[in-house]
Amino acid sequence: MPHQCTNCGKTFADGSKEMLSGCPQCGGNKFQFRPASSVDRSADAKTRSADAATGSDAIDSDAVELDATEPDTVEPGTTEPDAVEHATETDTTSSETTGGARAAVRDWVGLRRDDPSPASESDGAASDAETSDTEPASETRTVDTGPDAGSNTDSLDGPTDGPEDRAQASARSDVVSPEELSAARRTAPPETDGRVIEPKSDDRPDLAQLREELNDQFESIKILSPGQYELNLMELYDREEYIISLQEDGRYVIEVPDAWRSHDPDED
Amino acid sequence: MGLLTDIKDSITRVTERLFSASEPKRIGIYGPPNAGKTTLANRIARDWTGDAVGPESHVPHETRRARRKENVSIERNGRTVTIDIVDTPGVTTKVDYKEFLEHDMEKDDAVRRSREATEGVAEAMHWLREDVDGVIYVLDSTTDPFTQVNTMLIGIIESRDLPVLIFANKIDLEESNVQRIANAFPQHETVPLSALEGENMDEVYDKIAEYFG
Repeated sequence: MPHQCTNCGKTFADGSKEMLSGCPQCGGNKFQFRPASSVDRSADAKTRSADAATGSDAIDSDAVELDATEPDTVEPGTTEPDAVEHATETDTTSSETTGGARAAVRDWVGLRRDDPSPASESDGAASDAETSDTEPASETRTVDTGPDAGSNTDSLDGPTDGPEDRAQASARSDVVSPEELSAARRTAPPETDGRVIEPKSDDRPDLAQLREELNDQFESIKILSPGQYELNLMELYDREEYIISLQEDGRYVIEVPDAWRSHDPDED
Repeated sequence: MGLLTDIKDSITRVTERLFSASEPKRIGIYGPPNAGKTTLANRIARDWTGDAVGPESHVPHETRRARRKENVSIERNGRTVTIDIVDTPGVTTKVDYKEFLEHDMEKDDAVRRSREATEGVAEAMHWLREDVDGVIYVLDSTTDPFTQVNTMLIGIIESRDLPVLIFANKIDLEESNVQRIANAFPQHETVPLSALEGENMDEVYDKIAEYFG
């Protein structure tokens, strides 16, 4: 239960979509993140919800700031106050290991939320952070076992992990489409270091190639060469404007329909 | 905006049809190049007005601008049907200047003709969309009617719900095959004729009066 409403203390599974439209219990739109490593303390946190709320307010605003300015450091900010002592180091290590790429993906996906309020937007980013955070978190759980974490996390993992994974799976499949992912990948330059595609300067596209490219985009009249044309009759028919003359350089002179001009009553 | 204009236009068109029956209908003569469209337009114009519409030629794309002959009054069975004839450039999907070189044309002229022909097709397609109330679709009955252009144009005409007559031209030629055209477009009436020789023109005018009157 890594998310907790800072208002009423309701907790949500990792990757839960419920909270994206506000806390269903109290309508609050501020949540704190409880990483899995501190999950054993969630019971305390629940009972001390008032305490957590006041504490997390500062953290939360912190998170918003960080989110806006430096995505790489979002994770420490989103950790809940109870876990700060030991969770900060685990999370910073995880953010270090995964680098800026994940942060970029997270940011990008977070910004794609339809939720208009900035607070919930940052929550969306946070929730996405968690979906991508599961692996490092579980990793650090074993590395960073506190004095009592070993047995406790195991017993807690049993009941919580199953539904959490399902929630994550649905969150991923429902929200992030393949295009979005590929787009996000494009926005993550650190991961693709040295793979930036640069146009080869030695073979500049010649005129024929350029013409072909343009023809692919604009299809009503294809100029194969001066004096040789291919016509797309459907396109010509469908167009409101009408081509009056073709120029030597491939330009067109068109007559635009009256409706496109500024209204002139004298004109028919 | 476009939608409103379209609605306005179609209302205008409908009211024109309803309230001004005497307003001549614009009948577009369409078809592929060299089907005999101008020959037919000239034949009709000469028969009923004494003037020609434009020069005819066996070189394709002779007509590169739509030409209109207005107020052609055709008398049939004591009734007068007045139409505007629009002779359009031959519609094609390919224009190649090399085609004209075979007709003793300089390259520059051929290229210019080719460009003008292309413009003419664009114009013809535009008129089909905007400006005709009925279509005479002229085909050379010596050639295969199953072409992309014919199918597409007939399809467009059908989609616009325009009255259409299919004229199987050049029946004076030996290779003429009217039935092939009738088979290709069974949903429309096919009228055989020779615009050049004036064969079967009586039926042509009967059908024009029937369809566009």
